[in-house]
Amino acid sequence: MNILLNVIQALGVVLLAPLVAGMIKTAKARMQNRRGPKLFQVYFDLIKLLHKDSVVSPTVSWIFNLAPYIYFAGAVAAAALVPVSASRSSGVGDIFTLIYLLALGRFFLVLASLDAGSAFGGMGGAREMFIAVLVEPALLLSMMTVAFKAQSTNLGLMASMVENSPLSLAYVFAAVAFFIVLLAETGRIPVDNPDTHLELTMIHEGMTLEYSARKLALIFWASAVKQLVMILLFVLLFLPGNVFGSEMFSGIVLKVLLVAMVIAIAETSTNKLRLFKVPDFLAVSCLLSLLALVAQ
Amino acid sequence: MIAGYLYDLMLLLFSMGVVSVFFTSSNAKLTNYVAHSLALLGSTLAILCAIFVFMQGKVDIVLPVMLPFGPIGSSIDFLSAFFLLIIGVVGAATSIYAYGYSQEYYHRRLPLMAGLYNAFLLSMVLVFTVSHVVAFIIAWEVMSTVSFFLVNHEYEKKVNTRAAYIYIVMTHLGTIFITIAFLLLAVGANSMDFSQLKGSLVSENLRNVIFVCTLIGFGTKAGMVPLHIWLPRAHPAAPSHVSALMSGVMLKTAIYGMCRFFLDFLGIGPVWWGTLVLVLGIITAAIGVLYAFIEHDIKRLLAYSSVENIGIILLGIGAGMVFMSKQQPVLAGLAFSAALYHVFNHALFKSLSFMGAGAVLQATHTKDVDQLGGLIKKMPYTAVFFLVGSVAIAALPPLNGFISEWLTFQVLLFLPQVLVGITGKVFSALLIALLGLTGALAAACFATAFGITFLAKPRSEQANEAVEAPPTMLVGMGMLAGLCIVLGLWPIGMLSILSMTLQNIAGIDIQGLVGHDWYALAPATGHSDGGISMVAIILLLLSGCAVAMLLYSIFGKEKVAVGETWTCGIVPNSHMEYTATGFSKSIRTVFKSIVHSYNETVVNANGNPYHGQKLFYHVRVRYLFVSALYIPINKTIIKVAHFMKKIQAGSVQVYVGYIMVVTVVILIWSTGW
Repeated sequence: MNILLNVIQALGVVLLAPLVAGMIKTAKARMQNRRGPKLFQVYFDLIKLLHKDSVVSPTVSWIFNLAPYIYFAGAVAAAALVPVSASRSSGVGDIFTLIYLLALGRFFLVLASLDAGSAFGGMGGAREMFIAVLVEPALLLSMMTVAFKAQSTNLGLMASMVENSPLSLAYVFAAVAFFIVLLAETGRIPVDNPDTHLELTMIHEGMTLEYSARKLALIFWASAVKQLVMILLFVLLFLPGNVFGSEMFSGIVLKVLLVAMVIAIAETSTNKLRLFKVPDFLAVSCLLSLLALVAQ
Repeated sequence: MIAGYLYDLMLLLFSMGVVSVFFTSSNAKLTNYVAHSLALLGSTLAILCAIFVFMQGKVDIVLPVMLPFGPIGSSIDFLSAFFLLIIGVVGAATSIYAYGYSQEYYHRRLPLMAGLYNAFLLSMVLVFTVSHVVAFIIAWEVMSTVSFFLVNHEYEKKVNTRAAYIYIVMTHLGTIFITIAFLLLAVGANSMDFSQLKGSLVSENLRNVIFVCTLIGFGTKAGMVPLHIWLPRAHPAAPSHVSALMSGVMLKTAIYGMCRFFLDFLGIGPVWWGTLVLVLGIITAAIGVLYAFIEHDIKRLLAYSSVENIGIILLGIGAGMVFMSKQQPVLAGLAFSAALYHVFNHALFKSLSFMGAGAVLQATHTKDVDQLGGLIKKMPYTAVFFLVGSVAIAALPPLNGFISEWLTFQVLLFLPQVLVGITGKVFSALLIALLGLTGALAAACFATAFGITFLAKPRSEQANEAVEAPPTMLVGMGMLAGLCIVLGLWPIGMLSILSMTLQNIAGIDIQGLVGHDWYALAPATGHSDGGISMVAIILLLLSGCAVAMLLYSIFGKEKVAVGETWTCGIVPNSHMEYTATGFSKSIRTVFKSIVHSYNETVVNANGNPYHGQKLFYHVRVRYLFVSALYIPINKTIIKVAHFMKKIQAGSVQVYVGYIMVVTVVILIWSTGW
């Protein structure tokens, strides 16, 4: 167990996460014939927010102040567990731990959304939990397609198993299934719209409506980290090694870029679903995972 | 032999607790302190007794009771000691809590409640320890009856009486099946002593019958779906410290009974036993949590959540039975330790939550979450303890709920190793997915329970005037909250107790689970690096917090301005806040085939159809199992009763006629036609 390597890896993910978020934004803008923000705009936004003074509602309690830290810490801890080669088979945490660490952050963010006593916050929190409830079985099913084959939930073992196995139909099913989960979990179109602040459609943004300045920056940053964690999981556990040759660091970077592009395409080419159509969307993911299990 | 003396002393203390109320009933304060102090001492002795059994081995005690069925003995083996430990820990916490909570009852039959409370503890201790069929059934019945009286303690409220009535009917239904199971075994063994009962002595078919009877009998007590309907009614009706004991410990008597039968008496059974338990377990877990989430009575919510947790425990037990039938002792050990770990965890966090709910109830006199809010400022310590309980129930790291859920996930992951083929794989994948759904719903449920109760602005006058609970109640809650944290960070401690508990059971090998470093948790199935480390996870979370703090303060100190919550320009008030009912609306919509909710709008029109004076809006839920199972049974019984009524007309002449007819028939028959 060498936890220091995990921490260093987590710091790397934290530093790079806004860049990936920026790339998706830029790619999306280009596809829509806009120039879009600069590639590093997300960093500038975060720095700007970190400079500002905050406004806090008199209704809130210490939960409101604590939640951004826990959300951030949960995302960082999850980032430390992602099986990028350095930290493999370290016995720190497995896939269930990673999923539940993200859930810990979400739990506190939902509490914070209720804390200010606004209807928008409650609406956002209720919807976030609604989506989380639906995502969870789909997420676990897609993970099981890999874990059953590796006969372990250890992320390092799962990743090296994927690395050494050839591309097969099962992986295609599993990859599509997890990609759907990825879109839902990271709050992307067609499940949630990360750019909107319209009360009727927002989910994640609704929860953070009462936050400002530094706490808001922490939440934004943590969301970006969470997104990169999900993308990395997709790359490491659902794209078998021989798709892009060897499992070098450059291979991972290349794959992450590719997935970011695919997210941008998915966001540009689809509409946001009605909230009550989301269960059907995630049911597709569940079915694909089961098919992948059968096809193995 | 120290454990034996401790055991006798413990029984004596609990009995004195029952008797003491007769001598102190003139002074409510005295009753409170004497009776609950005796209960506290008894519970402490239960812990000590369990520890001594773990250190020195099994103890047999002959009780000084004469019954016409031979000597009645208690035998505390490791399994009993484990459950004795649970009752000791939870009983100690609830007894301390009861000092403060009983103040509510100074004018409401406190002596009765305090006496029954001791009797309840005594009967549960006996259930866990006696080793004789008749004694077990008597203890079981005393436990059920005493808890019936406790449920009915506030009989002024009609709903409580009804709950108690349903409870006593259901629990006796269970007792019938338990008695049948015991008698079948006893006839086979030709003995009533636990040590003689062996499933190998009866035929294979009879063994299956006994298994089904056990499952129904103990399943009723445990709240297994569809036999759970008494649970969400009865648990909320009892005084809160009793609710805590009922959910935390009494449900575990059923789990104890199942373990006794499945691990000890019946021996290793066919695969379908375990599979059936698995299926029932996952249904129980999913249905329980779904109903918990849509509930807005906080104690009912907790009761439904108990149903869910029983389901998770059954998953561990079921998987363990499957592994045992497939001769996989290591995996069976993992499965049963997951189940028993969850047994202990559930006892801790559910009792903690019930005590928290009791503190809220005492301060606000309402159980309706939608009437509460803002309590985190009025009752800061209760809020912290309730939050710890909620995070633990939601199975979030780094608390204890996560450990047992993680173990259960591991167990299910290994199921395809014995249930080979696609069916096994899909079966266990579905179990894992549904357990994940359960976990996510539990998180949503307790985010609501905590968020709506404690956060935002008070939604009613009572909530606004709440004050913090008395210190004794806080101490009771704090003890269990502390244990939730300890069992989360140091799972090996609990696992070594479990390895002792399960060490002598045939078909189970648990040594591999504990042979690791003190900080590690590994499933011990060949993959040495499949484990996790809670200490490392805490360190990661702390370093995440450190990074967050660094980012927060990197550009100097911030100024904080106070600005009202944004409500589109209107002055915010508590009616704008989300309620628990609103929070669960989308889930109700998606799962409407299971939780069919419908709105009921009542307009008090006062003769004028257009301008109602008052408008009531209720959301009601149609419970699937009540409408599809219990109401038809109920109707059939009433129909049969109506038919019987024709025979039982109540007129003396008719009865005399019956007697005459029977006499004539007997006379003719006796003369040999």
